[in-house]
Amino acid sequence: MTLRVGVVGGGSFGRGIATAAARAGNDVVLWSRSAQTATSTTSGVRTDESSVTESSFRTSGELSALAGTELIFVAVPSPHVREVARALGAHLDGSHLVVHVSRGLIGDELRTITRVLREETPVVRLGALAGPLVAEALLAGTPSGAVVGSLFPEVGAAVRTAIAGQTLRIYTTDDVAGVEVASALVGMIALAAGFALGIGAGPSALAVLCTRGIAEAQRVGARLGARERTFAGLSGFGDLVAAVAGDERPEIKLGRALAQGKTLAEAGHAAGAYIEGVSIARRVAAFAEHAKVDAPIAATTAAVVDGRLSPRDAVMSLMARQVMTE
Amino acid sequence: MKLLPTRFLPERPMRLPRLRPYVPQPTDPPIFWFNSERDDIVREVVRRIVESKAQSGRMELVLNDVAYHEAERLERQRDQESRESLGFWRGVLRRVGRMSDAEKKETLRSITEHMVRDIAGNFDARVYSFATKAVPKLLTGVMSPSKLHTALREEHPKALDDLLITEGAIDKLQNLATKGTLVFVPTHSSNLDSIVLGYALMRERLPPVSYGAGKNLFTNPIISFFMHNLGAYRLDRRIKAALYKDALKTYSTVLLERGYHSLFFPGGTRSRSGLIEQHLKLGLAGTAIEAFARNQTRSIERPLWFVPTTINYALVLEAETLIEDHLKEQGKARYIIEDDEFSSIDRWVDFFRKLSHLSSACVIRFGEPMDPFCNAVDADGHSLAPDGRKIEAGSYVRHSGQASVDAARDAAYTTMLGEAIADRFLRETVIMSTQLVAHVLFRAIVAATPGTDLFGRMRHKGDIAMPVDRLHAEVGEARDAILALERSGFVHGSPALQRDPPELIVERALQFWTGYHTTPVATYVGAEVVCEDPALLHYYGNRLVPFATRIAPENLAAAAREIAHMGHRS
Repeated sequence: MTLRVGVVGGGSFGRGIATAAARAGNDVVLWSRSAQTATSTTSGVRTDESSVTESSFRTSGELSALAGTELIFVAVPSPHVREVARALGAHLDGSHLVVHVSRGLIGDELRTITRVLREETPVVRLGALAGPLVAEALLAGTPSGAVVGSLFPEVGAAVRTAIAGQTLRIYTTDDVAGVEVASALVGMIALAAGFALGIGAGPSALAVLCTRGIAEAQRVGARLGARERTFAGLSGFGDLVAAVAGDERPEIKLGRALAQGKTLAEAGHAAGAYIEGVSIARRVAAFAEHAKVDAPIAATTAAVVDGRLSPRDAVMSLMARQVMTE
Repeated sequence: MKLLPTRFLPERPMRLPRLRPYVPQPTDPPIFWFNSERDDIVREVVRRIVESKAQSGRMELVLNDVAYHEAERLERQRDQESRESLGFWRGVLRRVGRMSDAEKKETLRSITEHMVRDIAGNFDARVYSFATKAVPKLLTGVMSPSKLHTALREEHPKALDDLLITEGAIDKLQNLATKGTLVFVPTHSSNLDSIVLGYALMRERLPPVSYGAGKNLFTNPIISFFMHNLGAYRLDRRIKAALYKDALKTYSTVLLERGYHSLFFPGGTRSRSGLIEQHLKLGLAGTAIEAFARNQTRSIERPLWFVPTTINYALVLEAETLIEDHLKEQGKARYIIEDDEFSSIDRWVDFFRKLSHLSSACVIRFGEPMDPFCNAVDADGHSLAPDGRKIEAGSYVRHSGQASVDAARDAAYTTMLGEAIADRFLRETVIMSTQLVAHVLFRAIVAATPGTDLFGRMRHKGDIAMPVDRLHAEVGEARDAILALERSGFVHGSPALQRDPPELIVERALQFWTGYHTTPVATYVGAEVVCEDPALLHYYGNRLVPFATRIAPENLAAAAREIAHMGHRS
């Protein structure tokens, strides 16, 4: 069975998804902002011939090219999701299935991205794809796995048809909020882990940080309607293990750079990508304080990022906390 | 299979003799055709159930389950029905293992048919016509005999009109009723709801609806006669067999597929606590999505819209029993309350007598209709995307160009619909003066008893008072906050709340309570108002719980948070 697959976002992950879907024999079209710019600057007028063939999938600068697809992956950084969703929504109806791969929670109330997609598009059959899947694995077809969170079984089935194969295992869950919160907070924990690595923490200290980080993510997640056990899955622990094991995650790089005494601006430049972990640490810390949820790692990470706490004091303040039952 | 007793379920409701059958007119709502379609509907329901069980090879399982649960129920019941039917069910249990497939199918068919016939309602145009004309007048008569004289001459008696206010998307709904199927999903606080809503629909020239009423409501013979003959179908909550639930669901699906306007209480049961229902399971209302999908697979373009509706009472007939039940946390054990105010004629008379001196005792607000996938719709019922573009509702049950019926998908749509309706309940709720005053007084109790739990607070009967001036000030402040919320799209204030000064709002609230509730709720003592019954203040005030923190002044923020927290726990 082949699907008509759309991909929104021309970054490395979007291209990875498009490549994997095309390799599986699907009909794939990828929208990217740069394709749009290229078309408008080269021709100067809008032409109907905006699609160009690139390797095994088509690239288009018009979101309308996605109207005829059945399954759409949204792969844009979380701060741009709302704007892109609004423009995309104008071409969709209830028959489309939409899955996002963006790591992040929106605004101070930590809205999930599926919720933003629901607000801005007529699509209801939504899902979130998360886990230790990286662009390189998709491009090269090396073994990997991910989880799709959706209330609708056909969404997970369609993602499997689109990209699963001998080297990619796609699991499913109906805990959408769990997958989204876990994925976003792993970004934050990875930042803290990078930081710990940067100040020379050993495997044991790293394990304590990651484990307590997941426990904290579970507490925050429970407030946002997530189920605890989802955090033990691919979108939670699975993703975190991949980050710590060294999959070149920008959050880890950023954490290391901060630990070496670089400013946030310098560190961000070194990591070289938009990093959700920075803004989410502050927002999770504020949300947790308001909701009376214990979130010391978020608070400490936010303090370090903002330069309110030195690397050494940060570790000391976490270690000095009263020890509770696990 | 002649073993099935004729009286499989007790007491069939009374019907009028069919001397001159009413011939429905083309402009009549669908339910006027119900009687001529009933046999066909019953056959279709039975066919679907038996076919699906036979195909999935589950006939023996289903027969065992129904026979076991019915035998168990009848052994406990020990009444006339037990004497008549217990033997039948025990016989099925004994023989089902030895039955051939043909015998199983016939037994299943005959059991299912009896169940569906017991569920199916009746619609008598004569009763409808009588109810339309006479019931409002009779109600007026009960409320104030002195007005009966004039009421008999008016089409809609003024006294009753004053008592019940209807507002919201009425014009739009009148139009949509001629183009598709309306599914009303109201809040549920009282057994009067279906009667009051039925009257409101009649008065606003909206079509009569079909709905399922618990069998306990049929115990009052007069109510039973009207309900049964106005299209209500019976659901017997005592029957636990899975087959019975299938029968109800399939019956409801078939009615909706055929375009019968319907009414479901998505909260399932009356709100015990007085809180606006927030965890909606939808139950039978979910069958509307399957009905819509089934029609789509057969290329039948019959749109269907949900109408979130709030029924807001200044005075609730069963308030005392409901809150007592809630406080005892026996909600489950006493799921079917048979001995409440609803079944006591004295309480009815007290209730309506009380209302006769007052106006706007109930506000029904019809919310904006939405399609089964939570989209807004325009004046002609076209589904609208968030950007205002028209989209096709049928697209939601299609994938790869093919419409399908998919139970897992529809369950997910139902979950989302439940959340959307719960959200709309908050927006469409109309705050009544009694609720506002009760909230302010209960907040004072909470503020005066820090660190006490709910049950401790219930014991503070008559020992917490509020200076009248302060009560007026806080009521005025809370009212202004509610009206500000209304302007930003949340909640509404009743006309009286919008219009009257705080002094009058307090006065009205105390008037409503005094003389109906068996114990005083709050009373004037000198320059103070004393909180006499914390339980009822809690009950009426609970309507404002979702807004508690947003309407409280700074000095009462802690009490408001505590009240909001109580809402989370129930």
